[in-house]
Amino acid sequence: MEHDNIYLTNLRDEKQNMWTGLANYFRKRSMWMLYYCTGCGAIELPPTMTSRYDMERLGMGPMATPRQADLLLITGYLSVKTLKRVIWSYEQMQEPKYVVGFGSCPINGGIYWDAYPVINHLEAFMPVDMSIAGCMPRPQAIIDAFEKLMDEIQQGKAVGYKRYRKHYDWYKRNQDLVLNRQSAVLTPYVDPFASMPTAAELMAQESEDSHV
Amino acid sequence: MYDHIFKRAQSLHGDKITCEKKHPQQLEIKTDRHYVMNLLSWLKTESYVHLAFISCIDWIEENQFELVYHVYSYEEKNHILVKTRLDRDRPWMHSIIDVWGHAQPYEQEIHEMFGVYFPGNPDLSGLFLHNWKDLPPMRKDFNPKDYSLALYSLKGMGHEALDMDFIQEITELEVE
Amino acid sequence: MNAHALTALKLTGIAFGAMSLGLLFMGLGRIVSARIQRRIGPPFYQSFIDVIKCFTKTSITHNFVMDLGIIMALGGLIATAFFVPFANFSVLGSSSVVIVLYLMSIGYLGMAMGVSASGNPNATIGISRALALMLGYKIPFVMVIMAMILTYNSSDLLTYALAQNHGFGSWHIFKYPLGFIAVEIAFQAMVGEKPYDHMIAPAEIASGPMVELSGKYLGIGFLLHAVQLYVETGLIVNLFLGGAQTWYIMMVKMFAVYFTTMCINAVMARYRIEQGIRHLWIWAGSFALLQLVYTRIWG
Ligand code: SF4
Repeated sequence: MEHDNIYLTNLRDEKQNMWTGLANYFRKRSMWMLYYCTGCGAIELPPTMTSRYDMERLGMGPMATPRQADLLLITGYLSVKTLKRVIWSYEQMQEPKYVVGFGSCPINGGIYWDAYPVINHLEAFMPVDMSIAGCMPRPQAIIDAFEKLMDEIQQGKAVGYKRYRKHYDWYKRNQDLVLNRQSAVLTPYVDPFASMPTAAELMAQESEDSHV
Repeated sequence: MYDHIFKRAQSLHGDKITCEKKHPQQLEIKTDRHYVMNLLSWLKTESYVHLAFISCIDWIEENQFELVYHVYSYEEKNHILVKTRLDRDRPWMHSIIDVWGHAQPYEQEIHEMFGVYFPGNPDLSGLFLHNWKDLPPMRKDFNPKDYSLALYSLKGMGHEALDMDFIQEITELEVE
Repeated sequence: MNAHALTALKLTGIAFGAMSLGLLFMGLGRIVSARIQRRIGPPFYQSFIDVIKCFTKTSITHNFVMDLGIIMALGGLIATAFFVPFANFSVLGSSSVVIVLYLMSIGYLGMAMGVSASGNPNATIGISRALALMLGYKIPFVMVIMAMILTYNSSDLLTYALAQNHGFGSWHIFKYPLGFIAVEIAFQAMVGEKPYDHMIAPAEIASGPMVELSGKYLGIGFLLHAVQLYVETGLIVNLFLGGAQTWYIMMVKMFAVYFTTMCINAVMARYRIEQGIRHLWIWAGSFALLQLVYTRIWG
């Protein structure tokens, strides 16, 4: 895509009438965020919030709970365990809600693309309205992304939450694939000590083996 | 620095251990796994009261696991590594929670990551991994790359498409 | 148009006026904190945008008591606003300070009922903190009011305001300086700004009472705070800062009170809950007591 470090992932237009247009104006000017400090990206948010870059200019501010927030920030890599909590938080948020993925990790795994606990494509588990490439994106890029997101909200393009609602089965399938897996992925592991023997039993067995 | 403890170890346990000076403040003691417990309780009485960590190394070519107990003395200000080897096919080791209670989570973690069994440890349930059914992940014969590709990649999830096409595809999912 | 309809119209006007004025103050207050922290800060109408946005969101309710409690809180506070004279004008003809104090508690109790019904433990902790703190600031406040009532033999706010109409020298802030200090400290706790923001404490109990409020409920929560600001700043202006003849003087004075609060808020850290109450009782309480004794003996 032609944007340098940000690509827009939402191409579909919402049918807009005057009221949604007006509501979207207020939504874009007052985005309260829930920043889920999963990875390295959390450290880029304090400068974005405080004196130097001051995101409160845009009407954005941190909120304490998912219920109050409009914007979920996934700041970095997501391990499987965190993914579960992120999905809970996302589902607790009230619509309209938006998700921004920070850095290359939520896009394609980043430098953790071959790591066993870290998922690779956040897009497969929940709808992402905006991704910021970079490792880690600077506050300028973050502010830039927020401004683009505001444009998208105004134009009614940031409709990830509707996609999630409509195609819930698709997302749920992917989530289950990772979170509620029933079988091993590569080699199933059989624990040789599944019966929890005591040390004495193990030693007796060992001396038996050595006699044979 | 550690001449004193070195000599005492040699004289008291000389036939069971091999000592080596690794560093001005680091002494390595190798011993049999059944003797580790004796050695550690002795070290604890010799002012080595701080068990800093237990680590595990997979020597896959020798078909062995190595456990390293890091103990530290605040009086002598040096550091002793107690090393022992386990059979890789049937790895188990006496739990040392009777000597240091806080060894419990260390052993729990080694059990989760390497599959080493510690009889006597009351809780060896999973600590970090979510719904894990494969080989313990820190073993050298576990391939994290294959795992990641098989589970988290788009192909692994059953989407036979390249990244951008995939994103296009789910973006094109119709909304209302 | 008959007299009742006219009164109803005026009351509606006051309700909306109080909300808008409170929201405006909140926006300006955010700019003040931002400037103290060397930021630019949001536009002054940011709070209006926030509230309207909250009302465009979907929201989740947990049971009927939650809805009822929130509405009761807003109703209680708006009813209080009717009794606070604005620029020497009181629609209901009465503005007893006792009624004001009494009705204000209804707001808090409604809030307590609503958010406790939401079932979130953090909300319950927040509310219990708010009620504990209420014990801390109500006592000094009431002592100062008693001093006033003893002097004037009246509990009417309008009487106090009119008595201060003779230039700066007649303002109660100069007549009752100790009482003013006590009330100013108590005010900090009433609006829940630092160092007395135990009840919100975002990093500790996840914004306390507001934790389960989403969408429209949160919007009402904001309106509650706005009306609360109107009532409490109005109270202080009428009690100490000489009331006001015109609406803009009134607004400027009210904002001056809030401005002081925001400045203190920007530079203080939070007390622990028992420290907060002790501080309120010892400092605000002793100033208020001194004022009461002084008024009784020499006043
Ligand atoms: S993209 Fe880079 S900075 Fe961001 S979480 Fe991944 S590794 Fe960390």
